[in-house]
Amino acid sequence: MLDEFKKIEQELRNIEEEFYMRIKGLEAMRGCITPLYNIYESGDELIITADMPGTNKEEIDLTVGEDYLKIEAPCRSPARRTREGKYMLHVRLPVEIEPESVKARYKDGVLEVIAKKKIRGVKIRVE
Amino acid sequence: MSEVLEGEIVKIIELEPIREGVIIIEGFPDVGLVGTIAASFLIEKLQMSDIGYIESDALPPLISVKNGKILDIVRMYGRNNIVVFLSEIPIPLPIIRPLSQKIIEWAISRKAKMIVSLTGMPEPGRLNIDVPKVYVLGSNEKISKDALKINGVEAFTDGYITGVKGMILRESIKRDFNALLVLSQAHFNYPDPGSAAEILKYLSKLLSIEIDVKPLLESAEELKLRLRDLMRRTSQAMQDVQKSRELELPAVYL
Repeated sequence: MLDEFKKIEQELRNIEEEFYMRIKGLEAMRGCITPLYNIYESGDELIITADMPGTNKEEIDLTVGEDYLKIEAPCRSPARRTREGKYMLHVRLPVEIEPESVKARYKDGVLEVIAKKKIRGVKIRVE
Repeated sequence: MSEVLEGEIVKIIELEPIREGVIIIEGFPDVGLVGTIAASFLIEKLQMSDIGYIESDALPPLISVKNGKILDIVRMYGRNNIVVFLSEIPIPLPIIRPLSQKIIEWAISRKAKMIVSLTGMPEPGRLNIDVPKVYVLGSNEKISKDALKINGVEAFTDGYITGVKGMILRESIKRDFNALLVLSQAHFNYPDPGSAAEILKYLSKLLSIEIDVKPLLESAEELKLRLRDLMRRTSQAMQDVQKSRELELPAVYL
């Protein structure tokens, strides 16, 4: 039983390592950086944040559709071993949004995108 | 001098003798890498030297090379009466408990004064906060009371503490050792130098040492980029210890 657990644990570690290798490989190949990002729902809004230090708001290219979000931006950093590259993030959204409702701001190296969720169906008043 | 404290899974290797009465600072990777950033900054500013390391078969076979010097990935630094524990990797789940136990056992055997764990407190609205709040939680009433004497801090009263930080606190209570957890509001899984700066401001008052956090804030962007990979791996490790529970309140009626 213990051996089985260890085997599963090792397999999970291998999958995780493969994931990191792929990300790093892709970043090296494309010369772009995949930002760390979060998506969460808050009431009727969908909030997406992406950690993108070293860029400025005027150069962030943000495109949204009903079910996707695409971010491209230059990334400049004086950090050792970090070459000048660009951020690229393409995310499939978990729920559909109203693209014209989207608001975005860039603060302390974090991009925040707030969108209204698309409401399907009819609202019923409970009596 | 080399001294080994034998343990089942984890060993603490001292490269130099540790004096009595030291204050131990723990900055293992966690929420927003707040503890790691603060501890690293402290090591640099106080020009601390490496005085030991952690050995365990459960750690990945990995060494770090800096300026041609070979280093272990979980290390101890020291100067005067401060010892800092630092790790370049998130602490793997299987050794969280034994490592926490070993650190406290070691601290008691070396007659350390106390251990201070540094960490971030996950705050979903962090982007709207310019100056993160600092919270403290002591292993006993006296430690909490003393920690709260410093202006601007609040007591951590309700919530969950997972991972090494929680286990160190638990072990300290069990063994009647002085431990203090210092938390600062932070991004959950983005490196947060701004939050680390608040912790350092608090530490400078607690330990009566001068720490100018301006250089840290000035290099925040570079730091965030450099720490991106560690943050990514730490996020994964935080899932293993159910770190998202720190966003929850404990069940009141249980």
